[in-house]
Amino acid sequence: MATVTVHSLTFTYPKRSRPVLDDLNVTFPSGKFSLLTGVSGGGKSTLLKLIAGLTPLPTAGSITFNDQPLAEIAPTKRAATVAMLFQEPSTQFTMDTVKNELRFALENQCVDPADIPAKITAALDFIGITDLQDRLLMQLSGGEQQKVALAIIVAMDSDVILLDEPFASIDPPTRLALLEKLVALCTKRGKTIILADHDLSNYDRWVDHLAVLDMGKLTLLSPADTQARFAAFTPDKLQLTHVVLPSDQPVSLQGTQLRLGHGERELLAPQDLALFAHQATLITGPNGSGKSTLFRALVRLGKYQGRLTYDGTDIQKLPRKQYARSVGLMFQAASSQFLNVTVAEELALSRKFGNRDYFTAERVQDLLAQLNLAEHTEQIIYSLSSGQQKKLQLLCMLIMAPTVLLLDEPLKGLDFASIQVVMHILTTVQRDLHLTLIMISHQLSGLDDLITLHLALADHHLTYKGAPA
Amino acid sequence: MNPSLKLALVILIALEVSFTQVWTVNVALIIISLILMFVGHVKWKRLLWLTVVPLFFASALVWSLALQGTTTHHFLIVIFTRMFVYVYMGGLFTQTTDPLTLTRSLEQNAKLPSKFAYGFLAAFNLMPKIQAEVATIKAAALMRGQVLHVWSPQLYFKVILAAMNWSDQLAAAMTSHGFVEGAPRTHAITVALRARDWWVFGIGLILVQVGLFIGLP
Repeated sequence: MATVTVHSLTFTYPKRSRPVLDDLNVTFPSGKFSLLTGVSGGGKSTLLKLIAGLTPLPTAGSITFNDQPLAEIAPTKRAATVAMLFQEPSTQFTMDTVKNELRFALENQCVDPADIPAKITAALDFIGITDLQDRLLMQLSGGEQQKVALAIIVAMDSDVILLDEPFASIDPPTRLALLEKLVALCTKRGKTIILADHDLSNYDRWVDHLAVLDMGKLTLLSPADTQARFAAFTPDKLQLTHVVLPSDQPVSLQGTQLRLGHGERELLAPQDLALFAHQATLITGPNGSGKSTLFRALVRLGKYQGRLTYDGTDIQKLPRKQYARSVGLMFQAASSQFLNVTVAEELALSRKFGNRDYFTAERVQDLLAQLNLAEHTEQIIYSLSSGQQKKLQLLCMLIMAPTVLLLDEPLKGLDFASIQVVMHILTTVQRDLHLTLIMISHQLSGLDDLITLHLALADHHLTYKGAPA
Repeated sequence: MNPSLKLALVILIALEVSFTQVWTVNVALIIISLILMFVGHVKWKRLLWLTVVPLFFASALVWSLALQGTTTHHFLIVIFTRMFVYVYMGGLFTQTTDPLTLTRSLEQNAKLPSKFAYGFLAAFNLMPKIQAEVATIKAAALMRGQVLHVWSPQLYFKVILAAMNWSDQLAAAMTSHGFVEGAPRTHAITVALRARDWWVFGIGLILVQVGLFIGLP
């Protein structure tokens, strides 16, 4: 049991004038589930990292656990005091396999070697992932990795559990399952949980006070206001009113007996697959089912069996350079896309080789303003928040205007307002330039205007959904 | 054999071979390494690589030294075989040692600070990630109309940036799973340092000394 108290905390990143957190005072009560929300770039991640002790505090003692600063807690007890689940699932492990990572964490806590196997089994059982114990961490899907990370926190028996948008790349059923485990940790084991999320669905039963972080200030809403916020937040539903089954549209990419898999593990059983030109296709499916793997295969970054053709020619026979200009991928991790240092340089590169007739300097400026990026043009890309990076990434790839643009979770980590803006821009550009868009998204709201075809991946098979045309 | 002791033995022998000129000992070490690699089921393709690459460099070196004409045949043979001793012994070590066991052994038997032991492991685990990252960067550049070659500084800029990012992430990951520099740890799996390991180590070293002593002119 631990109460987390933040005493007048002000935090400014080096070389920035405006503080991210401005004289923040808040108490997260022991054994309660606290939910933190706010716009992207509002300082949620910063606050959680400061609490977790991952970012050094500007003044020691401004965050305490039961009135004790983290630095004063014995090193081997720190992980038992506070632990954090990261936004990016794959970046939180040191070792190769699930079991080894659990061993590593328990060794750090000086757990008697004789007790380690039992603790590992108990933690894996609690989360329900005993079958994953000998798997390689890097081969797990994002959802599975988050489950493993949570199992490690369970094994370490941390009093305070911090979660930074842990469900950003996770499908709704997995999200609900993880949420139930978290609530069980809270109610049955008295853990203090602080979770940052944009998506407010399914929290109404468990959260009394919603904490809103905006402009460096934190407001704790009353129970009535909190419930009103939750009620106003309609859970994401996949509403696709324009979707019909494909008829005789022209085909852009065609797979013949296409099979995808990691080694022995089959993701997509051999099937024929047509992707249609000038349409906006949405691909949905559970985590780790192979959606991103399909995209990597389509841009020749991943292995596949069978044949893939673009406009009738085998993609392996097309010159790499030419093909890369025709079929582009917006990576799930924004940082993979960037090649330069500042926002302005990145945009200049896109305009140099992209569609300059459509994306005139004025239009780009206008889009930057719409995306709230206009004031950040001289900023170093890697110092932008994850939401800002995502928006810049999308703009860069839109300016390139490849004939086929694959979008892997383009709305990941964006707040509601940003999603509306991004979807509006995407829809306009797609209509104006007749682009072929193929999108993977777990974020389901706001897609209706754009999407014309829907591919569902289930049981190793991709099938088109919708009413007959 | 205990990984730390194996590493010490390989390094010691390599050092000795560097400062002596007995080609018979070199040949003996090459044969022993080869036999041990066969026993350790090292893949044929690996063995072929371990042979072809040093063959090229050793031949080039011997050829240029021979052209100079001031070196004896004996020295040329020593140089040629020495190159293979290095590569085969290095190959024997890396191909028959599990990095995680080595890390645990360095931490437990060699009393290396855990920071270095796990730092080494993390660097090792980073290798495949770097390869994948390079492929991704090249593809990302192509999609933006830029061709990045092996010699493009931008490629290295991005890889270094990615590596710096990983090192931050790794530090955060280790911290969040309870790793504190210099703090005591327990060991879920102990790596044994048996009497047999010391015997192999001692006898191996003595045999090399005897060989060198007999072989010295």
